[in-house]
Amino acid sequence: MNCEVCQLKELEVEHFEIREVLRCILHTIVFHRALGLVRPKDVDLELFDVTYVQCGDVELEKKIDEKIEHFISWVEKHPNKKSQICLSFYEVKNKQPSWFTNKIERLYWEQWYINLNVAQHLKAHSSKSHNSKVVVDPGEEERIARRAAVEASLREVLFQIIKFVNEKKDHVPPIPNGDGVVYFPHEVTIPSSSDSAFGMDMIKRMLQTGHPTMLS
Amino acid sequence: MDLQSNLQPESGKLEQIVSQFLLKSLHIILDSRVPSLRPHDRSGDLSLGSQVRKSDKWFNLVLGDRPAALDNLNFWHRNVMDPMIIDVILVHQGSNSPSMAVGGSVETVIERWVVQYEYPRVVAAQPSESSAYYKKTYKKSIILLRALYSQMRLLPAYRIFRQLSTSSRTYNFDIIYKVSSFSDPFSRAEEGMMEEHSFPAVEAYPGRLCISVTYRTTLSDFNLEPSTSMPPKIITDYVGSPNTDPLRSLPSSGKGVSATSFTLRGVQAPAPVPSQRPHSWTSGFHRAAFSAQNQPFVGSPPAYYPSPMPYDYPSPPAYYPSSMPYDYPSPPTDIHGNRVQHYRAPTHQKAISHDDYQLSPPFSPSPSPSSPSYISNAYPMQTRVRSETAPVSIPLPMTSRSFRHLSPNSSDPNRSSLPPLSPRSRRTDPSSQESPSGITYFRKIESLRSGEMQPVTANHYTGQKVTRDSKDDSGRFSGLLSSSGSPRIGFSRSSSRLSFQDEFDDIDFSYPFDVDDVDTSDFHASQNLDGKKASEFTSQSLPIGRKSQDAAVGELVRMLRTAPPLRQDPSCYSSHSMKTELEGGVATASGFFMPRKAVDALEELRSFRDMKDLLLSKSGRVISKEEA
Repeated sequence: MNCEVCQLKELEVEHFEIREVLRCILHTIVFHRALGLVRPKDVDLELFDVTYVQCGDVELEKKIDEKIEHFISWVEKHPNKKSQICLSFYEVKNKQPSWFTNKIERLYWEQWYINLNVAQHLKAHSSKSHNSKVVVDPGEEERIARRAAVEASLREVLFQIIKFVNEKKDHVPPIPNGDGVVYFPHEVTIPSSSDSAFGMDMIKRMLQTGHPTMLS
Repeated sequence: MDLQSNLQPESGKLEQIVSQFLLKSLHIILDSRVPSLRPHDRSGDLSLGSQVRKSDKWFNLVLGDRPAALDNLNFWHRNVMDPMIIDVILVHQGSNSPSMAVGGSVETVIERWVVQYEYPRVVAAQPSESSAYYKKTYKKSIILLRALYSQMRLLPAYRIFRQLSTSSRTYNFDIIYKVSSFSDPFSRAEEGMMEEHSFPAVEAYPGRLCISVTYRTTLSDFNLEPSTSMPPKIITDYVGSPNTDPLRSLPSSGKGVSATSFTLRGVQAPAPVPSQRPHSWTSGFHRAAFSAQNQPFVGSPPAYYPSPMPYDYPSPPAYYPSSMPYDYPSPPTDIHGNRVQHYRAPTHQKAISHDDYQLSPPFSPSPSPSSPSYISNAYPMQTRVRSETAPVSIPLPMTSRSFRHLSPNSSDPNRSSLPPLSPRSRRTDPSSQESPSGITYFRKIESLRSGEMQPVTANHYTGQKVTRDSKDDSGRFSGLLSSSGSPRIGFSRSSSRLSFQDEFDDIDFSYPFDVDDVDTSDFHASQNLDGKKASEFTSQSLPIGRKSQDAAVGELVRMLRTAPPLRQDPSCYSSHSMKTELEGGVATASGFFMPRKAVDALEELRSFRDMKDLLLSKSGRVISKEEA
């Protein structure tokens, strides 16, 4: 089974927008890939005029929120950088333990890369604080325009997700049976080029997927 | 199993998937676009912990209660090959285009959804592994429906839908819908303002499932804003009023209070839509027509027990001549055969809906739907008996005043004994909380009868599966499945439940006796009746006829409710029923029953005394004989 990769359009967001944007995108992706029984829940974004759909599973929400927090703390350590979040879906295969791999093998069949460019507009802040008496209209207008642009981009990303989800369906493994919200096992990783841990993660993952060429 | 024998159930599976797909997509679209159909408060059922109806589990997408419209789909969408075209129509104040204006409002199609199963001209070779293939098809259609669901929230029309549904203000516009299997093409001008989007099709051998939408890219052209409140209009020629339907007799107080829901949105009610559209139905202002037409089994309104034969409704009422979405006079061919036979009429649909239960995903091999005939043959006598007793049903209407709602909200449109304007909108009214429970009685009684007259199913539906299904339900029909009933009968009840319950969902009329939701145990007991009891009850109700109708109804209800021991003398029944309290206080009725209680008790006492004397005398003789 091949692994489909989708690179989502890059979004320029401000720091305070990260949480909402990420939540929206991650939940949307999972909703389309959580093929067990779900009771969809509509969630409105506060900052934007966008409504997305969640699976309605509390556990999932927690998990995603945690990851988002990790990401935010990472972004704070590495400001003004282009960053990527990777949401991967895998299949769990039990394999014979060998000395490279564990018993459990993960076979990734889909990976989504969410590209964010976290910008911090210092200009707006300074103008506000210094020129409090001055009419802040130009700054306000700019912000409104910016926000509209982000909203439009976000919608585009969501459309992109829906399109991708529908176009490539053959690689989706059969739905595991079970009650309740059953969704494919997935993980969210925050690859960062400057982090040495990233390299190790990659190697570990490659080992786990058990490419025959790697092992031999 | 060789391929040959696989073919039969596989094609059944395909039909199932396709028809459920159509239903589900209609559900999604209506849920996300038409505010009047949406259950008022959805926040309560967000947890998956609450029971989910099996029929709702299709495609692993739980949407909650289905709008009544969906139940018609099974009926009218006879051919799954026909496209299902759903028009989302914005009704707004016409500003520049007077031509289409009806009473000042203009209808514009803002979205047109086309869901269809495309059948190719050239059929490719059948995939080798059918069952695995259909599982894949099912999985892919799950994804497609998810995408549809998300997409509904991203299109421009969602915005105004939210405005309408969440805000408590009234607006000067409304959203209605129309479903049909064909549609008038858009004009050039309209097309210029619209964009099209098609979802990738899902392969479902031999054809494929497609969804596409043509939508208006912007709605800012319309002047959509909150409206100033308008005084409620009293519409005197509403559907089913005595003026328009001479068959009806209405309580005088009920008049004129209905149909105010039309004006809730502040738009004037228009004249009936001139164009007649066969094979389609619509909502909104056509609501009355819609509900009148599309629930013909509601019958001319107050004959609420019309005949237990929904499709026998003779012809659509004359007062909405032009807005008749469908004509019943010449029934469609594939239903025709069913119409002729009394209780078979819904059978065909039932067979499919039974399969809902059997084939709810992940599906197990479906039974062949060929067994109905077998079972109905087994119960010919009973069906006849039932159909005879059926008309002897609860006597006429719903004289609502005297009962229950002694403190009624007289301006409450729901209270009027009137029909079926888009029942869902009524449901949202908090003051109408009780009417659904009142409705449950009719449903139960009706399904009790019809259930037994509907002994249709494949044999292998197990009783257990059946009871599970009953629990899935909102509890209304939980009592239907008696533990003692045979699996077949039990299932047939639930099957009838499937349609009738939903049918009766549509019936929104107030009840003379408004009883709370069923106490399952009570009902279980009452469900242990066999047909004889049913006829006994009804025959019992006859002598009461001279007393007020309302009382009779209440009496019947109470009897059904409290009929625990099966075979007893009628006198014992009445004594039982006297003891149990009718919840919710059927005020005048209870007053009415008081004297009877005493009288009956006295009679009973007398009879007991007589019996005692008799026994004593007999035993006296015996003793004397023995001694002697």
